[in-house]
Amino acid sequence: MVATTDAPPAASPVRGPEPTGGRRRRKIPWLVYLALLPLIVVLALFQYYPAFSGIFRSFYEWNPGMESTFIGLDNFSRMMDDEIWWQSFKNLGFIFAFGVVAWVIPLFAAELLVTLRSQRAQFVYRTLLIVPMAFPGVVTALVWSFMYHPNNGVINKVLTAVGLGSWAQNWAGDPSFALWSLLFIGFPFIAGLPFLIFYSTLQNIPKELFEAAALDGVDRVRRFWSIDLPLMARQVKLLFFLAVIHTLQYGFMAYIVTAGGPDNATMVPVLRMINVAFQGQDWGYAATLSTTLFLFTMVLSTVVVFVKRSDSSTNAKGL
Amino acid sequence: MSNATLSVPPTTAPRARRKPARQWRVKAALSVLVFVSLFPYLFALGTSVKDNLQFAENYWVPVLPFHFENYATAWEQIQPYMIASVVVAAFSIIGIVALSLVAGFVFARYSFPGRKFFFVMIASLMMVPNITSLIPLFVMMRDFDLLNTYAVLIIPHVANGVVIGTILMKTFIEGIPQELFDAARVDGANATRLFRSVMTPLSLPVIGTVALITINGVWNDFFWPLLTITEDELRTVSVGLLFFNGQSGTEYGPMFAGYLLASLPLLLLFTFLSKYFLAGVQGGLPGSH
Repeated sequence: MVATTDAPPAASPVRGPEPTGGRRRRKIPWLVYLALLPLIVVLALFQYYPAFSGIFRSFYEWNPGMESTFIGLDNFSRMMDDEIWWQSFKNLGFIFAFGVVAWVIPLFAAELLVTLRSQRAQFVYRTLLIVPMAFPGVVTALVWSFMYHPNNGVINKVLTAVGLGSWAQNWAGDPSFALWSLLFIGFPFIAGLPFLIFYSTLQNIPKELFEAAALDGVDRVRRFWSIDLPLMARQVKLLFFLAVIHTLQYGFMAYIVTAGGPDNATMVPVLRMINVAFQGQDWGYAATLSTTLFLFTMVLSTVVVFVKRSDSSTNAKGL
Repeated sequence: MSNATLSVPPTTAPRARRKPARQWRVKAALSVLVFVSLFPYLFALGTSVKDNLQFAENYWVPVLPFHFENYATAWEQIQPYMIASVVVAAFSIIGIVALSLVAGFVFARYSFPGRKFFFVMIASLMMVPNITSLIPLFVMMRDFDLLNTYAVLIIPHVANGVVIGTILMKTFIEGIPQELFDAARVDGANATRLFRSVMTPLSLPVIGTVALITINGVWNDFFWPLLTITEDELRTVSVGLLFFNGQSGTEYGPMFAGYLLASLPLLLLFTFLSKYFLAGVQGGLPGSH
């Protein structure tokens, strides 16, 4: 991916410099299709087939291995009345909104970072700030669930140490705090794509712009509002849609830290779907939920593609 | 520092004024953010070398003697999970690179009827999140009687990885100058030889990127191995840690040692291949290409 950015757009000599075009066209195709065959088989079998079978089965009372009955839209109407399912979307909306608001911190960190004059210091701080990205997600979830541990957890120990012992809670186990506990995992939320995108965008703003602004007596805060933020609008828009899609797939943190509980307070669609399938053994209904999730994601992904197309300058990889 | 400022002649006053301003406040703010970000992991590191008594008496600070044997204890328990993850990652990488290198080469260098159609069919899979095909894929694997095998772990990684793999390889190979291929052809190389001796060696950087994306994916994949594997020796690290967590119970030292050991491969890749690693992290997101 790194090298791809170097490739000039002109260097795509696909059809052009094929000197023996006539002979080749007769000779090559079968070999070409043969070469593509393994990939096509793998994708058809393990990507296209499951996706379509999921959509197909959402109209069935699906009993894998046994007889399945076509029940039309029954699963979908059942979904409309499924309170846990919609509750899980409410939680998801909350997770999303919080996540977007929390971009303030990575944005602030990126602003601080570009303020540093020393390139070396910038590199060191940037690297240290994104180290948490290198930890597997499960490890982050487990370490944080220890932070919330009711007896030995870091948060309760801090509260006790500063004399606020009465505030100590069973953070992940209390319905009124569980969702907040999930949201604060990874605080201060810097290690992630938003930070990388903010930082690379700020870095790519021409220095002349800042110098001109400085000559005009624009201070740092004013510069942020009048220069940095407008120039980042596109990236923020892209990031926004990416975050929607990313959030729709949110699940394993909730599974590890709270298991969707207590009392469905942290239920999310992915967990609901898995519970319906594996605990309820209700495969047809699970397929319905999964199809719905799939449709949501498809619609939003399509939007992302169009946002991206209108904006070829978006390049998070140019780090 | 104040001495230096005093001795500076007035002509270089602007420089002198800038020099003491080493941006301490910015650096202090950034340091606080770094500390808060890393604190949970630093705490894990400190606790991983304590026994339970030291943990109870000195909660916050690391204390001597360090109990490095915690790492040995943890390693014994998570070793099978690490091996399973390495096996899954290795075979997935081989599968992905083999399939997508050939496909990328074909898409980048040959024109044939249906070329665009096939590429769009492949690239559009970028938008399909794999969590949504989890249920049908699971049923399919169960029908194939593949649950509790390495195949069930490897196949989805290959099927997902080839999508981004093919896109990356195609873009990369398009960037290789045509003259190289022409020269080799003039020297009498056929398509197979071109692929083997010209293209594959040149593609090593992008193969590395694909490998990192895959390793990152294997180490972070959670629900699929959780649902398809019930035999302990086939569990990958992400799921294995959860069971390890249940076993180590209140032995906090070995528990954190296990977490850190499980993170070590990704941390090493991050340290030494930071650029590719970040490409890999971002490659995991739909629409980031």
